[in-house]
Amino acid sequence: MSIVTVQLGQCGNQIGQEVFNTICGDVRGTHGLCSKKENEAYHHACTERFFSEAESGVPVARAVLVDMEPKVISQTLSIAARSGHWKYDDQSHFCQKQGSGNNWANGYSVHGPRNKEVIMNLVQKEVEKCDRLSGFFTIMSMAGGTGSGLGAFVTQCLRDAFPTSFILNHVIWPYGTGEVIVQNYNSVLTLSHLYQSSDALLVHENDVIHKICAQLMHIKHISFRDVNQVIAHQLGSVFQPAHTAESGLHYSRNPLGDLMETLVPHPEFKMLGLRNIPQMPENSLAYSTFSWPGLLKHLRQMLIANAKMEEGIDWQVRPPCPGSSISSSHSINKLLHFNTSIANLVILRGKDTHSVDLGSFRDPSLYTSWLNPQDAFNAWKTPRAFNKYEKSASLVSNSQFLLKPLDNVVGKAWNMFASKAYVHQYTKFGIEEENFLDSFTALEQVISSYTNL
Amino acid sequence: MRRSRALPGAVGALCRALPPRSRLAPDILRRARFDRPQATLGFWRLLYAVLKQIHGAEWTESDAIDTQIRFVKSALWYHGYGRPELYQLPSDGSAGSRELLLAFSWLLHRVNLLERLLARNRVKTGDETSVCTCEDDLTHSGRDTTEIAPEYGLEGRVDVRYLQWLNGKLRFQWRSLHAQHQEHCKLLHKIHLFTSGSHTDQALGHFSVTETDLIRHPENYSQLLQHLELETMQLEAFLEWKQLEAVYWQWMETVLDNMAEEGSMCAEQDAPEQTSKLQERATCCPWAESMTAQIDRLSGEMTALHSQLHQLVAHRRSAWCQKVKTREEELQKEDFCSKLGKIEESVELKLLDLMNHGAPNRNRMHGSCRLVFRSKHSASKTGFGGSVSKEPVPAVSAPEVIRELRMREASLQRELKQLQDECKQRLDGIAERLDGVICISP
Repeated sequence: MSIVTVQLGQCGNQIGQEVFNTICGDVRGTHGLCSKKENEAYHHACTERFFSEAESGVPVARAVLVDMEPKVISQTLSIAARSGHWKYDDQSHFCQKQGSGNNWANGYSVHGPRNKEVIMNLVQKEVEKCDRLSGFFTIMSMAGGTGSGLGAFVTQCLRDAFPTSFILNHVIWPYGTGEVIVQNYNSVLTLSHLYQSSDALLVHENDVIHKICAQLMHIKHISFRDVNQVIAHQLGSVFQPAHTAESGLHYSRNPLGDLMETLVPHPEFKMLGLRNIPQMPENSLAYSTFSWPGLLKHLRQMLIANAKMEEGIDWQVRPPCPGSSISSSHSINKLLHFNTSIANLVILRGKDTHSVDLGSFRDPSLYTSWLNPQDAFNAWKTPRAFNKYEKSASLVSNSQFLLKPLDNVVGKAWNMFASKAYVHQYTKFGIEEENFLDSFTALEQVISSYTNL
Repeated sequence: MRRSRALPGAVGALCRALPPRSRLAPDILRRARFDRPQATLGFWRLLYAVLKQIHGAEWTESDAIDTQIRFVKSALWYHGYGRPELYQLPSDGSAGSRELLLAFSWLLHRVNLLERLLARNRVKTGDETSVCTCEDDLTHSGRDTTEIAPEYGLEGRVDVRYLQWLNGKLRFQWRSLHAQHQEHCKLLHKIHLFTSGSHTDQALGHFSVTETDLIRHPENYSQLLQHLELETMQLEAFLEWKQLEAVYWQWMETVLDNMAEEGSMCAEQDAPEQTSKLQERATCCPWAESMTAQIDRLSGEMTALHSQLHQLVAHRRSAWCQKVKTREEELQKEDFCSKLGKIEESVELKLLDLMNHGAPNRNRMHGSCRLVFRSKHSASKTGFGGSVSKEPVPAVSAPEVIRELRMREASLQRELKQLQDECKQRLDGIAERLDGVICISP
């Protein structure tokens, strides 16, 4: 029932710290809008999931911090400790003096094997503190060197050491016009390796979050901290306790297992996208009211039209008519950019969740032909409001959300590879051209599987 | 004359040794001996309750009498009770108490009824675990498995991706179960560790789950005490029964003799008609069907295996004869004695290997055990039959069990690999015959 978080690289550590901050703040807050008993159960479930008890009484996050440079980790540790409400274990981090220079091969083939034992010892210590291990949650960015290369290696080690545990990789998709020239190489190598060892990849795109910050949160000068806070809010809305069964008497004690079982049982389809509604600046919350039908209507259209947020949704996109033959619906879909889903999970938090009608998500036309809505759609609910939002709905979707971004990245990487640009940086550390080709093949297979839904 | 005084004692002990919910008054047995109809219903109910209990199923007293009678007939047929008169008894429970008395006594002896009922209804310590690796446990096969068939599919076919989906789901559920089980073990270990040294029984040394729970909820003490008292009374009755049971069986013999005398006066029934009726009974027991299907399958497989072995042996024998001939020629040129010694050694090794492979069933334990924590990081288990005296209780240590399980796991892995190789070969064979298809195995 406890999740061990592994924060990898600069990105992973900064986001991880924001996630724990958000979760802790939500649990301690007084805006629960539910009964005291419910609140206590929520508090208990959440603390067991993410924190362990320490003698000092301050909850200690169940996390291992890994980075090649010491600066970010020491910052992360001190920010957490300063909050006074939670902290990291002082021993539970690993860093070196030199970085990876954004070189995936350096992280994967050099730093990984060299430091494997130390890192896995830290993980083992955290695992032993848990009465029951629900699984691992790793946070990393795809584009850099440490998070991506070392992260892929660490995920592999986790899989080898804990073959029966659930592993969820949270992956940050870099900006399309990112600063790192070789980010597409790094992305391709990371994704193909993660696909083998991980159970699911939950993706956040930097471009999308940036737009949310600009248009929904109305932030003028967007810093990494703002982006990370939005990401933390979205992740918190998925991982905070919820009732997974219809009866809803107890909070689920198997968060990662339940998530995996509903969304990613098929080994070829592991890419998950996340949408959260509503998102707005904190000071506007008091002046806004929401209705479930309205929220769900927007969420459904976001799913169908592959919209990234609740503004600028294309309402023209419709699911295909059930009577049409397969070939024509394919072309119509391509024309209208209809997003076919394999499986969806909707998580509702807040007032009146028991009376919400989710029939619109059970429409068979939303889903691929070989899965019926009974199997493909699940809903989790809790009357306990999250992070000051009176009503909040999240959608975790295994669908064609990431098909286009994936296709883009693979295409760009292939173009670079065709001219052998920068490849020597990788072969220097043992990643040969053959490894690149294997990665391309694996990702082409994924793209093809998702395209033929 | 001693016998007639001991008999009520035996019957009384028998009735008191039965579990509280499925008891019989002693004079019902007496009435049944004379085939009185008033005793019939009570006997049907007793048999129903007792059979349901040993099969691990739930029941209520309010189940309809003809359902109860049908179930009892099926269950008795499953256990091998062959007396046709029982199956011809009316299903309203109006007559046949003497037949039921016979059936009850037969069951008593055949399946060790009292022992099984006592084992089933023990007060739980919470520390129970099972080391039994048998696949077909009688108590588990009574569950009802309702399957919801997937409804769609083009022309009745199912998309392979859906099957992969279901397979993945099953795997994930198994992983969750595994994690739950690990948690159970971890917490049990904590309880045992933290209460070490507190128990008055030195052999155990720590509290069980039930005892620990009692510390947290002392108000449950009276309920637990009541259960223990009931169990103690039952056990004492059982011991009494064991001493007096010879008297009971002698009495049953006289009942049988009486029935044989009377039976020869009745007309004979058609034998084939009876067997078909008996087979109908079997359908009431869900587990009986699967059992017979499995038995059929097993016998088919055995005959196939038998013929395969014959062929293999013949083949091997001819090859061996060839080998011996060539070897004979070689041996005449070399030193005979040293070669013989080496051959004998290698044969011995092979025999030993074969024996170890073929006989893993030696120390199989069945039923449940109680987990007892021993310090110095070695846990051991005490067997079910704990005695009052200080003699050592049959125990097996955890490392031993782990070793056996590992051996079993290794042999299952070998079997899996063998089956996978077979499948691969078959797939390759099929792919060769298809044009333009390349088969890449995983």
